[in-house]
Amino acid sequence: MSECCCGEKDIYLPELATITRMQHMNETELFLHLELDSGKELGHMPGQFVEVSVAGIGEAPISNTSSPTKSGFDLVVRKIGRVTNAIHAMKEGDKLGIRGPLGHGYPLEDMKGKDLVFICGGIGLVPQRSLINYVLDKPEDFGKVAILFGAASFEQRLYQDQLARWAQNDKVQLLETIDKPHPEWSGNVGVVTTIMNQIDIDLANAISLICGPPIMYKFVIMSLEQANVSNENIFVNLERRMKCGVGKCGHCQINHHYACQSGPVFRYSDLSDIPEAI
Amino acid sequence: MSIKKISKEELSQLVSTLIASGDRVEGVQAKDDKFAFGPLTSADDLRLDYDVTLLSPRKYVLPPVESLMTFEVGGRYQSEYDTEKLTLIGVHPYDMIALNQIDQVFSQDEVDNHYTTRRKNMTLIACDVVTPSENVFASSMGTATVSEGYDILLTDIGDAYVADAPTEKGQALLCNAADATAEDLAKRQAVQERNQSDLNRHPLNCKIEDLPQLLEKAYDHPVWEEKAASCFSCGSCNQVCPTCYCFNVQDDVSWDLKSGTRSRAWDGCLLENFANVAGDHNFRKKRNDRFRHRLYRKGKYVPEKLGIGTACVGCGRCITACVPGIANPVDIYNTLLNDIKL
Amino acid sequence: MSKPRVAIFDFACCEGCQLQIVNLEEEILDLLGVVDVVEWREAMSEQSEAYDIAIIEGSITRPEDEERIKDIRSKASILIALGACASIGGVNKLKNNFDLNDVKKCVYGDAADMPHLETAMTKAVDEVVKVDFKIQGCPVEHDELTYVLRSLLIGKTPEIPDYPVCVECKAKGNICRWEYSEQCLGPITRAGCGARCPSANNRCFGCRGYVDNPNVDAAKDVFEKYGLTVEDLKSRMVLFGSKQGPTL
Repeated sequence: MSECCCGEKDIYLPELATITRMQHMNETELFLHLELDSGKELGHMPGQFVEVSVAGIGEAPISNTSSPTKSGFDLVVRKIGRVTNAIHAMKEGDKLGIRGPLGHGYPLEDMKGKDLVFICGGIGLVPQRSLINYVLDKPEDFGKVAILFGAASFEQRLYQDQLARWAQNDKVQLLETIDKPHPEWSGNVGVVTTIMNQIDIDLANAISLICGPPIMYKFVIMSLEQANVSNENIFVNLERRMKCGVGKCGHCQINHHYACQSGPVFRYSDLSDIPEAI
Repeated sequence: MSIKKISKEELSQLVSTLIASGDRVEGVQAKDDKFAFGPLTSADDLRLDYDVTLLSPRKYVLPPVESLMTFEVGGRYQSEYDTEKLTLIGVHPYDMIALNQIDQVFSQDEVDNHYTTRRKNMTLIACDVVTPSENVFASSMGTATVSEGYDILLTDIGDAYVADAPTEKGQALLCNAADATAEDLAKRQAVQERNQSDLNRHPLNCKIEDLPQLLEKAYDHPVWEEKAASCFSCGSCNQVCPTCYCFNVQDDVSWDLKSGTRSRAWDGCLLENFANVAGDHNFRKKRNDRFRHRLYRKGKYVPEKLGIGTACVGCGRCITACVPGIANPVDIYNTLLNDIKL
Repeated sequence: MSKPRVAIFDFACCEGCQLQIVNLEEEILDLLGVVDVVEWREAMSEQSEAYDIAIIEGSITRPEDEERIKDIRSKASILIALGACASIGGVNKLKNNFDLNDVKKCVYGDAADMPHLETAMTKAVDEVVKVDFKIQGCPVEHDELTYVLRSLLIGKTPEIPDYPVCVECKAKGNICRWEYSEQCLGPITRAGCGARCPSANNRCFGCRGYVDNPNVDAAKDVFEKYGLTVEDLKSRMVLFGSKQGPTL
């Protein structure tokens, strides 16, 4: 029962990777650095994802959060379901199954020379980080960068060290907000759209990239449209139930699109007549 | 190879020989007052005069549950393949066309070698319809006859079958058969022409090429809400459909708690949690959204993905299976045609 | 690592679900290889106050049962409701459709007023204490029972179907019982049994409880379509679907 007749690789078979570093970022988010046991690089592009397996528990799609310009790869795992609960109980040196890279990442060619505006809600910062760090590692290829990060609460602000490093970069304008006031917070309070008017970049000529909870997209896109940003210059990163990751199982369909193949990164103009998208 | 003719006795002999070889042979048989594909132990049980089977032959290429791999906790994953040889006898043209579609899905882009391995070990003997079923509408879907995918196609011409074997596997089985005469071929053509018009209990009021355009304009039509009000979200329409192929994947461990199996099982887009993600966000929570999704998959999404006419092959099984009686695709498409100008 | 301690308790029930554990046959040895059973009245004489997992069969029908189940809950880190009586109240809830004094008289006749026959409205276990996992069915299914236990032992929340019996019934290639005008509850009943009754040419009685979001309006439509009434539907639902108030 173990021989395939045609010598093709098994698209569902995970390869092993070792957790070489992990750090609890807050109560629900866990940062992992992984290296494939084969010694090879994952070979991903910013915006792609991997299917992560915990044997006996199952498999879950997780965004890559690291730039391919670095060795190994990073994931941030929110404790929210069976697989992610099990990952949170792991320790450095433990092994995960990995399939990928999967999906369609950011179209880097279309972004060259452009100013980039990253609009992130909560763990929406995680997949965007893969592109932000890629862009900052190749400063000659891209224009200015604005990073807007809205967190639900003070405690849920992710990547504090990373945000601080970005803030020190001359190319970067970092704008932060939290939804609920907190005694230690002196910055903006409100949803992420309330800081969009502070962006120094000319929005109409920039590329805007949105990633956050499902509810966020509609409002951010409305604000961008008011700022005369065309739909061709907006990219959204959409979460769906990407069970197989290779366009077969049907769970991640957004009308006719398979999020795992056409996405998770979509150009918004490709979604304007896709009612299930936003 | 030219088209052959075999008598009913010769076919029975051929089936008996296949069964005697010890290889797995499955075919259509009576099941209470209906018909079903199942293991053949005697050629006498084969019923090529059947109307429709309860389940389509999809269950042979994509079993209700199959193991994809085994694993050791913290260790390697090991692929599992089903390499058993199987001869399947009695596939109707609409079901053959459905299998051709699923073949395309699983070999498109990234090849699913669990699927292709099983498929390559199959010998498919199709047969033209003798008795139309109560809900068939294959004539409306252009699926009443089939021209590819099978190893042998049998057409009942009364006292014998005309047998077309386009593949080596099929030809090997028919090596002793005589050539069909011009008269036999004329009889075969008559059967096929009759089926192209008569397998049509629910006539569609447009051409199948018009369906994508019709659905393009029908997204907010009230029919979805009206029908879905009576929908149990029981997925029966998905389960019996010959072209539904969506699946779920699940792990289970052995009692040693250290090793286990990852399996896939049929899933259905009508089921409540089909589009649910961890954290309990359901991207298709409303019944009418799920109800509409199936009809769009059949009439628009899958045809566009595969570059084919329609992903509904008109077998009529969903009509029979739906207890509230709301699943009939033709009924819905015709309702839309009443209100929407193409 | 020491094996988790499991205690099995029964309340108002027929003990058939515990019998399903006994009937695991060879698999019971596999089970005993990974857990320590410290109390199980039906199969052993030992008792224990110290356990990690409590498995409860039966429904709660008397005030003193409520105190007992609360005590068990306070000692267990995981509490599993085993079978229809524990998970949904089961057939014991039938009496909730009647006046309790009439029920007692009907069952016990002249002895109905004896104090030890005091009874109350039947409750499922989760109507009294928090239940972590439910294993549905009358009786429970071997495969589901063992899958749930293995899942818990590896720290995984078991994946329990939230779709109707029809899914499994169709996958088995059964003929729909409604084609014979049988009032099958499969379309609103939670799967997981492999459509056991329809596969044996019986309608579904609904012993696994309803899916989370049953379309009862559709069920009414279907009963009407077949010339039946809402009362007919109710008469089918009361067996396993009775509540604290009106069933439908």
